[in-house]
Amino acid sequence: MSTDALERRAAADVVAGAASPPSGSGMNERILQINDFCVDYGVDEGAVRAVDGVDLHLDRSKVLGVAGESGSGKSTLVYGFTRLLRAPALITGGTAFFNVGPASEGGPDEFIDLVTANEATLRRVRWTQISVVIQSALNALNPVVRVGSLFNQVFKAHRREMSRADRRTRAIELLELVGLNPDRLQRFPHELSGGQRQRVMIALALALDPQLVIMDEPTTALDVVTQREILGELAELRARFGFAMIFITHDLSLLVELADEIVVMYAGRLVERAGARALYDAPRHPYTLGLLNSFPPMHGERQELTGIPGAPPDLSDLPSGCAFHPRCPYAMERCAAERPPLAKLSEEGRYVACWLHVDEVHATVPVELRRAVPTTSAGEGGAT
Amino acid sequence: MLPIARRLGVYVVTAWVAVTANFLLPRMMPGNPIQTLIGKLQYNVTPAEVNAIRLSFGGSLHNSLVHQYFTYLDQMFHGNLGVSITLSTPVTTILKGAVPWTVGLIGISTVLSFFIGTFTGALLGWTRGSRMDSLIPTATFFQAVPYFFLGTVMLLVFGSDLHWFPELGAYSLNVTPSWTWAFVSSAIRYGELPMISIVLSSIAGWMLGMRNMMITMVAEDFVLMSVAMGLPRRKVIMTAARNAILPSIANLSLAIGLVVSGALLVELVFNYPGVGNLLLNAVENEDYPLIQGIFLIITLAVLAANLIADLVYFALDPRTRTGATA
Repeated sequence: MSTDALERRAAADVVAGAASPPSGSGMNERILQINDFCVDYGVDEGAVRAVDGVDLHLDRSKVLGVAGESGSGKSTLVYGFTRLLRAPALITGGTAFFNVGPASEGGPDEFIDLVTANEATLRRVRWTQISVVIQSALNALNPVVRVGSLFNQVFKAHRREMSRADRRTRAIELLELVGLNPDRLQRFPHELSGGQRQRVMIALALALDPQLVIMDEPTTALDVVTQREILGELAELRARFGFAMIFITHDLSLLVELADEIVVMYAGRLVERAGARALYDAPRHPYTLGLLNSFPPMHGERQELTGIPGAPPDLSDLPSGCAFHPRCPYAMERCAAERPPLAKLSEEGRYVACWLHVDEVHATVPVELRRAVPTTSAGEGGAT
Repeated sequence: MLPIARRLGVYVVTAWVAVTANFLLPRMMPGNPIQTLIGKLQYNVTPAEVNAIRLSFGGSLHNSLVHQYFTYLDQMFHGNLGVSITLSTPVTTILKGAVPWTVGLIGISTVLSFFIGTFTGALLGWTRGSRMDSLIPTATFFQAVPYFFLGTVMLLVFGSDLHWFPELGAYSLNVTPSWTWAFVSSAIRYGELPMISIVLSSIAGWMLGMRNMMITMVAEDFVLMSVAMGLPRRKVIMTAARNAILPSIANLSLAIGLVVSGALLVELVFNYPGVGNLLLNAVENEDYPLIQGIFLIITLAVLAANLIADLVYFALDPRTRTGATA
């Protein structure tokens, strides 16, 4: 690491010291609070900022969807705050406070900053509190290890008191939770189908009753039918165990059924944050609108897929102002000059980083971006 | 277990082909050992003497090739590989004298080199970019230097000049070969320098191979997964190393197979009484029975090593077992 990077890191630590974890006595609803989180790939002149000043928070038992194109930084963000990134990625700033529960019986919930936590602390939190379902289950399951041994590894690392029989009973219980036959314990990953492997991953992720499960495009590699089944099972499991979830995908229509809140990322920054239904029915950012138009809706009438013109930007050479402006059909002069902040809208719980929605700008908001959110959320299908 | 049986069958066929080629090749060469022997005699040979020589070597050269072939197979199965022309000793006896030295020296060196190289390679791969990486050019240097030069320099410096190690041969002239401590310790003492030189000159291959595989494995999702699972660092490294070592195991089996052929240069430089030296002498003197005998055990050793490698792979990598489970 160069001295420059060290200084930046030191500066980040100062910022980390300034930000404080959510406080309050007793049980705290907040389980994750990320502030001004930045990740660079490389150092010095060659450094590319992949995640830039992201603020996020997640409450107990809630589902947060993270959407964006490939290269938008959604995976980097998640692997960043869980400290799973490898060189040349480097966290260059921000805090990620995670609720590890009360230190003593009845005490206030303790928060640790994952960004500054040491190896031992991270090891204690990993899988017991935060588990990850990695995108490709074939690559994430060690090819030379039987499914049963994977469960054993987890239990041996975190539940030393469990006996051999306990471990086996629990592993069978977990496989049954995700609808797999216990005989799969004897199998190697390559002997399972794609859907079965993904189910094994989910069973593994739930092995220690974590508070937060991170799903990195868990269904992208699966066919639509299996995808549906697994999403259905996930919803049931969540209802039963109440874990919170961060769900990464580029498929917004999938998120809307699953997530409570959705954030949309573009070029490493959050461009929109809203309740899932509201975002789906009435997107406020042109990029969100573009994403929505790139996928057929799961329900409702057919509509033309328009997609987003152009390609995701080169992170080492971002456009000036709003990074989306070269691809944006509503771009104005100001968009090329100044970068819009993520600003609160008048509607409840909605944030968007777009000059179109800033009051002092007297631009006409295009009709597509000012649809009203239907008051009755019961009606299935998209807005008309 | 069917795949194992199938593989065993393949090995039996391969061995038969190798043995047959070993029988045919010398017979396809111009001239024959008796002519060579007669040529070496300094006086005129009478036809009766030629016949006598022929008879002393089995007297079968007038028989048909097919008959010879079956005699050859029969004798081979009974451990009779013929009599060396130059040494006038049964080939089996000669091999019994040379093979243990070679297997001891080259075999132990190969295994040592494998273990040290693979272990450091795994560490280097895990701590990529650390200061330890400078080990690689050092090791590569020793592998790049021609062995006869490296061996000779080591012999001169550590043997002749510094007298840290005894110089030539496999054991001290003061002891006679037997299973006594005096002899065994002498053999070990004489083996040290050649062994160090072999390890030094071959370790880079193991190290680089393992390091590169390790770097590939560290980038794999299942290693990331074991970090995410909160496994202790030692377990994470083991996960990566366990998968990275597979190609090295294949290479080790090939190397073990070639151990029997001896390392000619090592044996020459250190005047070691192994198979390499023996083969060189046999070829120089056109000693067909000895050459055939040496080729036979080299072939069988390579086959055996391959078979063992197959079995080890079978045990280590479940993906090679497809077909084993219905």
